[in-house]
Amino acid sequence: MLWSRPYFIRVAIVSGMLLCWRGFSGASQQPRFVMPSPSPAASASPSPTPAGAEKTTEPEFLVIIDPSHGGDDRGVVFAPRIFEKDLTLALGRLLRKELQDRGIAAHLLRDSDIGIPLERRAELCNQQRASLYIAVHAGEPGKGVRVYSPLLPSVQQPVSGFLSWDAAQAPVLKNSNAIAGAVTHELRKKDFKVQDLRAFLRPLNNIVAPAIAVELAANRSDFHSLESARLQDAVAAAVASGIAQVRSQLGVRK
Amino acid sequence: MIPRHFQITISFLLAAILIAGIFIIELRHSEEAKTQQGLATAPDAPEAQGKEESIPVLVAYDEDMALRWRRTEAFMPEERDLRARAALRAVLAQYHQSPSPHPLASGADIREVYLLNDDTLLIDTTAPFADGHPSSVLLEEMTLTSLIETLAANVPGITKVKFLVEGKERQTLAGHVDLMNFYQLNEVHELAKEFE
Repeated sequence: MLWSRPYFIRVAIVSGMLLCWRGFSGASQQPRFVMPSPSPAASASPSPTPAGAEKTTEPEFLVIIDPSHGGDDRGVVFAPRIFEKDLTLALGRLLRKELQDRGIAAHLLRDSDIGIPLERRAELCNQQRASLYIAVHAGEPGKGVRVYSPLLPSVQQPVSGFLSWDAAQAPVLKNSNAIAGAVTHELRKKDFKVQDLRAFLRPLNNIVAPAIAVELAANRSDFHSLESARLQDAVAAAVASGIAQVRSQLGVRK
Repeated sequence: MIPRHFQITISFLLAAILIAGIFIIELRHSEEAKTQQGLATAPDAPEAQGKEESIPVLVAYDEDMALRWRRTEAFMPEERDLRARAALRAVLAQYHQSPSPHPLASGADIREVYLLNDDTLLIDTTAPFADGHPSSVLLEEMTLTSLIETLAANVPGITKVKFLVEGKERQTLAGHVDLMNFYQLNEVHELAKEFE
């Protein structure tokens, strides 16, 4: 008889207790948001990323492209399978190619679907001594492209030669605005509808190099347009062209 | 050989353990769902205080990507901190209308405001205000700008504003716009002009 087997009873009691324990211990909670450190992911990536900066000769002018969001942070969810994090990565890769075609060294801050905290993104960019930082976004509402330059929350004077983390952008704000202007001009030349705006957008203010953000915009009813390779190619080319034009004004890496 | 009455008792105990386990897991799921919807944290409507006034509010219109001044009726107390909270809630009331010009999550509200040194205001918001906010640079910026500009129009003398979520600092509103810094009202005023 089944009940005559003590082993069965033991297994049943342990199963029941496990079920109770799951309930009390919160095993049903959502998995915690664990940010992988950028280094392992970057080393897994074949393209140049901060950890993969093993080049022997350092470029005089380096653009760091930051495809926003990634990993558990999907950014804007346009549709069940269309996430901002994927669009930004696609546009970031195209922008890197366009810049490299123009002889400008460019690294992606992430080249795979990993999450990097915003402060870490700024740290990585500053460590790389970038000449220019570009955050790539995709969002709603609207149509066309939005170019954001940083808006500092308050004028903070450096203390003993050290910049405040939240106002690290202050000394180069003028250059950021110049780049935003040049990129906007190039996008308009290609007949894009462009808005040149300022924003308290993280982590622009924590970057010590000139910094801007470029956002592809679409209304929810028209989000499929954002996936168009033609659109992304044209935007990447115009942004790269704008950067190439102001490159000489920005000087070389120190 | 196990006696029959012992078998029956064990069976009942096992069944009870299983049912309790399943019940607890279900209970946890439903509580989590409630929290996510903001039902658990939605504050009760405050009692009307002060005189009813027609106040200016800067309202965000997503469709036009614009901010426009409107007038609305609100009970405005004399005390500056309470007046600030009433003004902010008047803006949020516009967004909770149906149809909404700038939809926010159900339960998005102002928990409390704290006036420091007569010129700095800490605005403590509910979790749904940030958790349920649409993730978008533009929409996040429009929300904060409309709140800060309305504040400036109705409570003179405030020069700096900082947002908290459930009493804690948060890096961004919904993944983009900075919530860590103190916003200078004069700079936000310049920003608001870009949305006119």
